[in-house]
Amino acid sequence: MRRLTRRQRLAAIVLAALAACFITLDLGGGSLAGAHSGVRGTLGALYRGTDGVLGPLRRFVQGVPHAGTNEAKIHSLEHENAALRAQLAQRSADRATASELSALRLGAQHLGQKVVPARVIAFGPAQGFDWTVTLDVGTGSGVKIGMTVTDGADVVGRVVNADSSTSRVLLAVDPGSGVGARDARSGELGVATGTGASGFTFVPLDPNSSVRVGDVVMTGPSSGSSFVPGLEIGTVRSVRTSTDGTVRASIAPGASPGSLDLVGVILVGGTPVASRPVIGTDSSLAGGR
Amino acid sequence: MTRIRIAAAIAAVLTCLALQSGVLAPLAISAAISLPAVLVAAVALSDGPGAGIALGFAAGLIADLGSTHPAGVLALTWMGIGMVCGLAADRKSVRADAVIAATLCAVAASLATMLLTLLNADGASLTLAASQFLPTILGDGVLALVLVPLVRRAVRADVLRAPRGPVVLLGVDS
Repeated sequence: MRRLTRRQRLAAIVLAALAACFITLDLGGGSLAGAHSGVRGTLGALYRGTDGVLGPLRRFVQGVPHAGTNEAKIHSLEHENAALRAQLAQRSADRATASELSALRLGAQHLGQKVVPARVIAFGPAQGFDWTVTLDVGTGSGVKIGMTVTDGADVVGRVVNADSSTSRVLLAVDPGSGVGARDARSGELGVATGTGASGFTFVPLDPNSSVRVGDVVMTGPSSGSSFVPGLEIGTVRSVRTSTDGTVRASIAPGASPGSLDLVGVILVGGTPVASRPVIGTDSSLAGGR
Repeated sequence: MTRIRIAAAIAAVLTCLALQSGVLAPLAISAAISLPAVLVAAVALSDGPGAGIALGFAAGLIADLGSTHPAGVLALTWMGIGMVCGLAADRKSVRADAVIAATLCAVAASLATMLLTLLNADGASLTLAASQFLPTILGDGVLALVLVPLVRRAVRADVLRAPRGPVVLLGVDS
């Protein structure tokens, strides 16, 4: 095995000290906010270009495991929303995109909010602990930090950074995230904590609550949650009661983090200033600017 | 020659970051596979610890500043990958070097996750780091089997070969 030369050893020590300084500065406040913003903007442009070239290939590979499910979903939507489907089919040759837009439209109607459609152009840039995605819309389209992102019916995450043309979304399944939640069947309130790709863990506030497998869990009242209320978090797949009586339910996520493509940013408290059309509460598509 | 090496390093890092975010991350959601980290390992295995330390720190800092976690975490861990890979390089067998790269990248990913857990950063949990360790080694191993020979060939090309020291350049050694 080789050994480091004196200069290499010195360089390693200096750079390690520099890295420690960066960590301290970034934890301490916004000293590096400008640097973060600049690099995110540059990388955002790079990701947008890459997505233009490699996006179709990625979406094809991502769609392979869900091919059967998507087909069934499309058929079901065709029967239920014949009028909407006809309108969408005229606008887009891409069936998958059409169904996603339809879901966003229904979501906007259901929530009574305006939604900016956005495409996922990149996933967490470095390693698996970064549960973020980059969207191709930013402050220029009315997106602000803290806004909720949905795929139409399910919660996807919330905006944590936004520049003029891109924004970064912290996924709801992020293991550090907790969201106020409600069991749609029983109305029980609780907290859903992200567990990465496997979904969420739901802990009801009332230990005697009757959470059952198959229950749908939604985002809870807005005062106790950073997300817009009424979005589906997922479905309970197993329930476990510990010896101290605490109930924990494992939840399969409604929006699979690995297959995100077209999503919508809910413009709560924001004004649509978009150059991009906004999906309104009356299912209309309107230009913002 | 040094300018060409720096330009090539920047191009390689940006390409890897773009491929990581646009293709690899969404396809390998349940593992902490990292193409830029494997690139750092491959360069260090071929070019030694000096190049590994420099490239690891620079690439890690760019990735850090483009992420939501505190800057410096990936710079520190990827610099570690560069240093250890440069010291432990076999340089004869591609497979042995790929195993070294994959193991160190997975260990570095776990260490970064532990560090972020200590710092209470979003997304980091020890359970996740433990459950992702084996898939990460396998994924990084596959990437290393492709990248190590490619990088080895690239750094041996005349235009990208490391500059020799002043003594050699002056011909004093002959």
